[in-house]
Amino acid sequence: MESAGVKTADDTTANEGTAPEVGSRQSPRRPRIEPRSLVRPVVIAALVLLALLLIPSIFSLYYVDAWTQVAIYSIVTLGLGLLVGRVGMVSLGQGAVLALGAWVAARLLFATGLPYPLVLLFAGLITMVLGTLVGLPALRLSGLYLALITLMLAGAITVVLTTINFPNGGSGFTGYDGSTVHIPPIRRPSVATTDPAFFRYSMIVAIVMFVLVFFHIRGRPGRAWAAIRQSESAALAAGINTTFYKLWAFALASFVTGVAGGLVAGSFRYLNSLTFTTQDSITLLAVVLMGGAYSMTGAVIAAFLLKFLQALLNDWGVSPDWLTILFGIGVLQVLTTAPRGIVEQFPKDMARLGRLIAGLFRRRTPAAEPAE
Amino acid sequence: MPTWTDVEQFLVTGLSLGGVYALSGVGMVVLYRATGVLNLAFGAIGAFGAFIAWQLINHSSVSFWPAFAVAVLVGGLLTLAYGMVFGPALALRDPLVKATATLGLALILLGVMDLLWPSSGGASRALTVPTDNNTFQVGQISVTYTNVLALVLGLVVTVVAAAFLRFTKLGTAMRAMANDREITASLGVPVRRVTAAAWFGCGCLAGVAGVLLSDLVALDATALTFLVISTLAATLVGRLRSIPITFAAAIVIGVITAELTPISSLSTYRDMTPFVVAAIALLFLSRRRVISVGRQGV
Repeated sequence: MESAGVKTADDTTANEGTAPEVGSRQSPRRPRIEPRSLVRPVVIAALVLLALLLIPSIFSLYYVDAWTQVAIYSIVTLGLGLLVGRVGMVSLGQGAVLALGAWVAARLLFATGLPYPLVLLFAGLITMVLGTLVGLPALRLSGLYLALITLMLAGAITVVLTTINFPNGGSGFTGYDGSTVHIPPIRRPSVATTDPAFFRYSMIVAIVMFVLVFFHIRGRPGRAWAAIRQSESAALAAGINTTFYKLWAFALASFVTGVAGGLVAGSFRYLNSLTFTTQDSITLLAVVLMGGAYSMTGAVIAAFLLKFLQALLNDWGVSPDWLTILFGIGVLQVLTTAPRGIVEQFPKDMARLGRLIAGLFRRRTPAAEPAE
Repeated sequence: MPTWTDVEQFLVTGLSLGGVYALSGVGMVVLYRATGVLNLAFGAIGAFGAFIAWQLINHSSVSFWPAFAVAVLVGGLLTLAYGMVFGPALALRDPLVKATATLGLALILLGVMDLLWPSSGGASRALTVPTDNNTFQVGQISVTYTNVLALVLGLVVTVVAAAFLRFTKLGTAMRAMANDREITASLGVPVRRVTAAAWFGCGCLAGVAGVLLSDLVALDATALTFLVISTLAATLVGRLRSIPITFAAAIVIGVITAELTPISSLSTYRDMTPFVVAAIALLFLSRRRVISVGRQGV
């Protein structure tokens, strides 16, 4: 950890602000991480490929839509997990950032004929600029105060979006026309107009976002964030420009969340101010903590908890309120007993269960008894 | 532009709202100072108490004041139970973790309330404080005794809490614990009992605020839960420490929010007041801080 911190300090002063050149910097260390880094990408790629091919064909349209939501929201939980887990900044306003991204994307989709990927890119960039502008002063604060100010900002953004409403094909800056009777749906990419195609599209965008964040975490920013999370003052003493890297994390999280907002616009097709609530921001934090904020798999688990369970309970006719209660219990459980979330706790619990079962069987055979 | 009568009328609304925000804010500050926990479930606890009161009044034909007392007690006991179960487990963690954990409680309560008293299906509920019916005139504006009650309660709670922390033994123990829990414990202060008192007091205030806000605003789980943000804004202006500043900020936020109502161009944005006030205050207060070190953070 310490050597990494010092190395980061050198890097930072050498060429600050340029794009991370991950490969060249890491090449001397590559042999050490090779055995692990070969197996995991292959397994993950296989799983992703399976999901891409199988999900649209084995699930009903209802569940394909649920999986689409999982893919989209995994980008949101990825962004929040980056802030919470990597940098140690708790944001209670990611739901509002997502709403902002959806608004921008919907506005662009109604106003222009730009191809969808470009709209997503612009939605991400504009959200990034807005989110960073809003977050810039907040970054002077830390810990509890940062969390509270983001909760306030989320509230403020929600008020503004409720007032100006989501675009519905009207004219003017807000693109909202209250008198419209036939609201046109928000357009989808031409290659992905059907639900299964849109699922694949969302999935691919999500993969791109995960890869983007992965390279950030593996590279210089990731090391700087790790140092900041350990101790901000130590990071500063090691020569890391903490404000710059915190801002970078904020910008990256806003960017991916904005892109996810663009996908939300295309997936819901009709947006209104009830689509996004202040409660969403809190639920998002809850699932991120439950899934495991310290890993990227945790982000997927978080999105699964948030969106797939919701669809499942809805299908079974169970009130979604039970899910809210579950998330509340989950937050308390994670914070008191399992700070690293399901992604680390579940294998541990399974291992313990396995040992327990193995122990039970061993006890039955008398030969094994003395051995214990 | 609004007429002068409008300004006066909304001043009354604003002062009573501000009074409730103030008593909530004081409840949160006292708990934070004693235990380091910022209770973000304050609004949800209050809402839960208010729903219990509503249930008693409308389905068990209990009259208002006993139901009010039950709501306050429910708030207190609920908060106390949370504090006793999760307080010790999280006692040594960062304030941020403690605050996040209370969000868990808020989510549980939100879910339970929506299960028991669903808001869908057009069911609208109202909790009316009987003092609503007694009005008196000041010049051209009418004032209900609920307005008076809210402001007076806010004022009384502020003064009592400030005096309590300053002059009583229990209050001194709470302030000592805010400084250092371990040293306070080694001096022979019964830490568990002192924190329990703080949790219970905070919960009771949540119950009071919940019932009053259901009357002044609406009996709606989500709305009441997130009204905590307005209170939070006031406590932030007081840096989670100062009781008088929290009171003043709460009154200012209440009045500005209410006074924006008659101005049509700003009316829909009036709910942003607490955020704007808190953001400006926080940025102003932290203008010299570049980095913060230590467990307490800033």
